[in-house]
Amino acid sequence: MNLWLILAYVLLIAAGIFLLYKAFKSGDRRFIYLAVAFYVIFPVLITLHLPIEISPEVRQLYKAVESLPDSATVLLTFDYYPSTLAETEPMSRGALHHLFRKHCRIVTMTTVPLGGPSIAERVTRNLAEEYGKVYGIDFVNLGYKANYVAVLKGMGSSIETIYPTDNSGTPLSDIPIMKDIKSYSDMDFIYVVSDNGIVDYWMSIVNAQYDIRVGTGVTAVMAPRFYAYLQAGQMTGMLGGMKGAADYEMLVNQPGTATKGMTAQSLVHLFIILSVIAGNVVFIIEKKRKRQGAKV
Amino acid sequence: MKTTVPIIIAFLSGFVMILAFFVSPESVTFGNFELEPEVLSWVTIVGGFTLLLGVVSIVRVNYNAVKRRNDGWVYKLATLISVFAMAIPAVIPNGLSPLFGTGPGSIYDWLFNYLDAPMMSTMFAMLAFYIASAAFRAFRTRNTEATLLLVTAVLVMLWRIPMGEIMLKSIHESIPGLINTYIMNGANMAVQRGIIIGAALGAAAMSLRIMLGIERTYMGK
Amino acid sequence: MNLVDFLQIWIIAFFTLSLFSFLYKDNPFYKIAEHIFAGLSAGYYVGLIWHSVIIQQMIDPMLNNDKWWLVFPGLLGVLMFSRFSKRFSWISRMSLAFVMGNTAGIFLLSELHGKVLPQIQSTMMSLNPGQGFADFLLALVIVVGVLSTLIYFYFSKEHKGALGKAAKVGIWMIMISFGAHFGYTVMARISLLIGRVQFLIDDWCGSIIQLF
Repeated sequence: MNLWLILAYVLLIAAGIFLLYKAFKSGDRRFIYLAVAFYVIFPVLITLHLPIEISPEVRQLYKAVESLPDSATVLLTFDYYPSTLAETEPMSRGALHHLFRKHCRIVTMTTVPLGGPSIAERVTRNLAEEYGKVYGIDFVNLGYKANYVAVLKGMGSSIETIYPTDNSGTPLSDIPIMKDIKSYSDMDFIYVVSDNGIVDYWMSIVNAQYDIRVGTGVTAVMAPRFYAYLQAGQMTGMLGGMKGAADYEMLVNQPGTATKGMTAQSLVHLFIILSVIAGNVVFIIEKKRKRQGAKV
Repeated sequence: MKTTVPIIIAFLSGFVMILAFFVSPESVTFGNFELEPEVLSWVTIVGGFTLLLGVVSIVRVNYNAVKRRNDGWVYKLATLISVFAMAIPAVIPNGLSPLFGTGPGSIYDWLFNYLDAPMMSTMFAMLAFYIASAAFRAFRTRNTEATLLLVTAVLVMLWRIPMGEIMLKSIHESIPGLINTYIMNGANMAVQRGIIIGAALGAAAMSLRIMLGIERTYMGK
Repeated sequence: MNLVDFLQIWIIAFFTLSLFSFLYKDNPFYKIAEHIFAGLSAGYYVGLIWHSVIIQQMIDPMLNNDKWWLVFPGLLGVLMFSRFSKRFSWISRMSLAFVMGNTAGIFLLSELHGKVLPQIQSTMMSLNPGQGFADFLLALVIVVGVLSTLIYFYFSKEHKGALGKAAKVGIWMIMISFGAHFGYTVMARISLLIGRVQFLIDDWCGSIIQLF
């Protein structure tokens, strides 16, 4: 590793410790904000390439998709708000790279009203161009319909009744890819990318009642909750947060924003751990002083 | 009648779904009308109108504030202008111009991708600063439970980053694996399972109460 | 980079930095950005519902597929707006009851069939020490964890005696889980900030560098 790089990172760490000390002394939390800003900006400017250990649940999802026959039909959902794009868009991109490479037929949809259809449109068309995929033949965007519980249940019997047209208003009967996709039973896999509790209903309504495998990419806030479904076998693999997205990017050999973000992630985590430990050390010292003061 | 009719509607609407669970959709079809998927599509249509209620509310509240020239009325006016700037071009047929409608290249699409989405991402990105500040100021080992929470949080934060994994492996090779197995897939998974089971039983009980008309709070006063 | 792309990046950067300025102090730039964001989000729903529900789900099927019965859910949807009238707000109960009843019917079975049963089934693990220490320990942690969590959340009886001890184990398990949640939540929030900073440095600063 470059000596100047090491020196730069040492100075950065020293700056963080100094700002932490200033925050302690003055009680002004803006010093903490400044330190966090440094620890995010600097690694984005000068990225360290750190080895990433792939999580078992990410490998499980990758293997499940890899084992699908070419030209399999996959439902890919964009169940996330624009607020979590940094975590979820790399997951969607990774999924699309993987599925397009395997020549899977992709049906995209969303249960999120604020931005879901626009994000699905932008991300899918962007990558489809790269792989020379044709809308209506290789992939379709069904868009959004309200009340996700009814949508998830309704697609089990008739997709066309819930979605009479695709997102742009073309009747499904006029779209070649949808000619033989009428319900979940005509699909091979469901790949849910989500930032909210809809995943619970993909498990309880779709996986349980229609016996179709469901793999997920979820934000880190949601991830700990879904280990229960993983262990029960209801969920086939899971990408958890930016780390999960970075793991998947490595597996599909398309390093992107998630992989680049891991250095900044590392530094800020270490800073937060340091500030928690420092805060507690001061807390314990002050507690002992108060006790000694009380005895006297 | 004002209470009885909605209760009957709720029961019938729910009963169709229970029937659909046990009976195949094809056997409950009247010509072009398949009972289960049609009822579900009706629900999605009504659900769509519900989303518009919020928009009407926002317009009313902000309009009244601007009319009365309340404090900060200029900002409320900006909100109103933004609502109409987004809504009006979206409902005009895009046959008149590609700027109208909701497709790629429309005003609606542009405002979403270049203003709304980045601002939403930024609002949530600010939480990173707040969580760092909260961890520094409030996260204290006051008792056994808090210590347990703190130690687990620190271990998980280290485990999830490449630098942290290297540090943990330098102490012992198996530590990251043990964290994954016994914390995430062990204790955490068990607790989440308990919560899922409890919440699911509660939801099932509440659903039965709604269908039988015992629970009526959703109707309001 | 052409002029349109350049201006678009600068508009995004302006609003991004306006919102971030709140971290230093509340100011008019933050307020205006916040209010514009609220308005745009509300306006987005109008376009979405007009196209995806009213046109695609109602008008087109009624005109092209003879599904004349879709006028009924349309009517139920319009009746929702009666909530804004004090005198006629009771009418909206019909629409609400229809949606709530339907959702209740789905949940009644899916919650039990799709969550309770599979989760309980997966908890019935072998506690035979002969299966190997690691597997036995994991099974023990899972079984004890699930039972103690359920016991902790049982508030119909006072947590005393054996129940109290089990609830104590439950709270320790819950604290471990919440600690894991906190760790993941920190990761989530930092990731979102990294996303915005990547835009500011790669795209915005990149556009400035391209000028020279």
